[in-house]
Amino acid sequence: MIEKETDDVDADVIVVGGGVAGALCACQIARSGRQVILIERGGQPGSKNLSGGVFYCRVMERIFPDFLEAAPIERHITRNVLCFLNPSSHFCIDSWDRRLADPVNAVTVLRARLDAWLLEKCEEAGVMVMPGVRVDALLTAGDRVTGVRAGTDELRARMVVAADGVNSFIARSAGIRAREPAKNLAVGVKSVIGLPAAVIEDRFRVSGNEGVAYAMVGDCTQGVAGGGFLYTNRESISVGVVMRLDDLDAKGVSSSRIHDHFLAHPAVAPLIKGGELREYGAHLTIENGPAMASHDIARPGLLIVGDAAGFTLNTGLAVRGMDLAAGSALAAARAIDRAFERTDFGQRMADDYRAELDASFVGADMKTYARAPEFLENPRMYEDYGPLLADIFLDILRLDTTPKSRAAAIAAAAFRRSPVTLFQAATDMLKGGRAL
Amino acid sequence: MKTVIVYKWARNPEDAAVRADGTVDWRNARMTAGEDDFAALEAARAIAPEGELIGLTIGDGDASWALARGVLQAVAVTDAAPLADNAATAAIIAAAIRRIGGVDAVVIGDSEEYSGVPVALAGLLGWPAVAHATSAEAAGGRIRVVRKQGRNDQTISLATPAVISIAAASPEKKVPGMKELLAARKRPITRQTLADIDAAGPDGVTTKGTRLPDGAAARLFDGDPANAARQLVAALRDEGVL
Repeated sequence: MIEKETDDVDADVIVVGGGVAGALCACQIARSGRQVILIERGGQPGSKNLSGGVFYCRVMERIFPDFLEAAPIERHITRNVLCFLNPSSHFCIDSWDRRLADPVNAVTVLRARLDAWLLEKCEEAGVMVMPGVRVDALLTAGDRVTGVRAGTDELRARMVVAADGVNSFIARSAGIRAREPAKNLAVGVKSVIGLPAAVIEDRFRVSGNEGVAYAMVGDCTQGVAGGGFLYTNRESISVGVVMRLDDLDAKGVSSSRIHDHFLAHPAVAPLIKGGELREYGAHLTIENGPAMASHDIARPGLLIVGDAAGFTLNTGLAVRGMDLAAGSALAAARAIDRAFERTDFGQRMADDYRAELDASFVGADMKTYARAPEFLENPRMYEDYGPLLADIFLDILRLDTTPKSRAAAIAAAAFRRSPVTLFQAATDMLKGGRAL
Repeated sequence: MKTVIVYKWARNPEDAAVRADGTVDWRNARMTAGEDDFAALEAARAIAPEGELIGLTIGDGDASWALARGVLQAVAVTDAAPLADNAATAAIIAAAIRRIGGVDAVVIGDSEEYSGVPVALAGLLGWPAVAHATSAEAAGGRIRVVRKQGRNDQTISLATPAVISIAAASPEKKVPGMKELLAARKRPITRQTLADIDAAGPDGVTTKGTRLPDGAAARLFDGDPANAARQLVAALRDEGVL
């Protein structure tokens, strides 16, 4: 029966979505000698993709040993800054460490360039890349996925990989997921601001191809659960905000205005001063990856990878998506390889995929950070800790010719003025330590 | 009738950004199908049967555009850079057509932005040209070309070889589906370089500078609607409009 079904396939595997997950999965499957068609909705590679974080890229060396030299990388991130931002003050932890450059730990990328490069690599590996096509539905035979439909056109394959992003219409139409609750999703609004490389290096105290990434909470989102980000590319700065969808809705504020407010903030405006707006965009993203990824991520003839499966993590300090996309693509490619050897694309392939994930950093980290979203739901993170920390340091540093108190007394006084109690702060620290 | 359809031979000006200082940033824009390329292909298909039709593209664009639309083979001059000089662009296309050899008709989109290219191409080949045509077809060893003359249609019977440039009357109706895209990937593309076709391709135009046009500044009346309306009316009075 399998022979009969495979007689009229157009390819061995159809991958839907040409982002990091889809491209890498297609590339790996093609390298094993299978025929792969990669269908991408955007007319140009990367035209529908928008990322708001750095790429923790060690995983890429497994796929492209020359990734750091050959791929269109902007800067190597060696400086990381975490800021509690208030209307007229901020409290930041600034870490610079050259060890992050050897081996290179994280890089900044512009997706239009990176995705075009990834699809070139796919074509080199023999993948048939098909841009400008929107897949409307899956084809099924019984409970098994057998191909895709776009308009009136149908393509058949022995199996399909869904890499169609956070909104994954495929996962939804396959009945794997219901519409995702708003609290698990966030909206990101981002600008890319062009500046000469020399200005970026002076302004951010980085040299050569090193770069900096900021993660900020507090006034950047005007109290909406979420945060601001800023990172340096070679000749531009990516800067924007990410806000939890349910909180944004509840507070009734406009995401684009919050973005504008953040860019005009006195702590942010000098960093992008004199720059020229190159790109502006908004994109849905995942707030609670562990909750999304706890759904099924496979059906007979179908595997789901990357954002479509929910593989995104926000640990407060690091927002991760592309590395998990790459990791899940590798796991899927391995499971698919074995499925072809056995000619069995049913439950065993699904189990294999889950086992591959669990054995990799993807599955492990999704478990490790399972409680991070719950911890980050705490409104004290966005509203109270920034002013509290700023008050403590202000009172330590401000000398007004009156006698000074000791730091412990200043902190105690600041806690008395703050809505946060010492007990709550201690609990949050403990919880944070456990969740992150 | 051996016919060449020239497509994806220029960048889309909409892919460029004009910066505040007046410089133009093309942002790695690639050669794209022009808005007349589809109509040109329709005409080319009406002139030549499948087997006698050859696609020709220059530069770094995806050459499979024509192959997904029924053309069986294509030639791509891959290292041709986008040039400001229409005549230099035409010289590259002319060299590629000479290299193909024995061509009876060349059909090309009647680009508004690069309007010099089709006529310069005809001049370089030494062939007659009919520009601004709306359709063309083969008729008894000649080509019948229709173009608008005011409100009338003018029909011209053209001996070969000839260059015909076509202006699209409407956008493309049906874009290729997955099957056509798949078939396109299996059709042959002959990749050539400028050196292969003996085209030096120097840009005859040197850009010494660009500047923003003198435009009237826009004013935004924001805030309370009643107040904004008052300000708008006052501004219109100041300008002498009211």
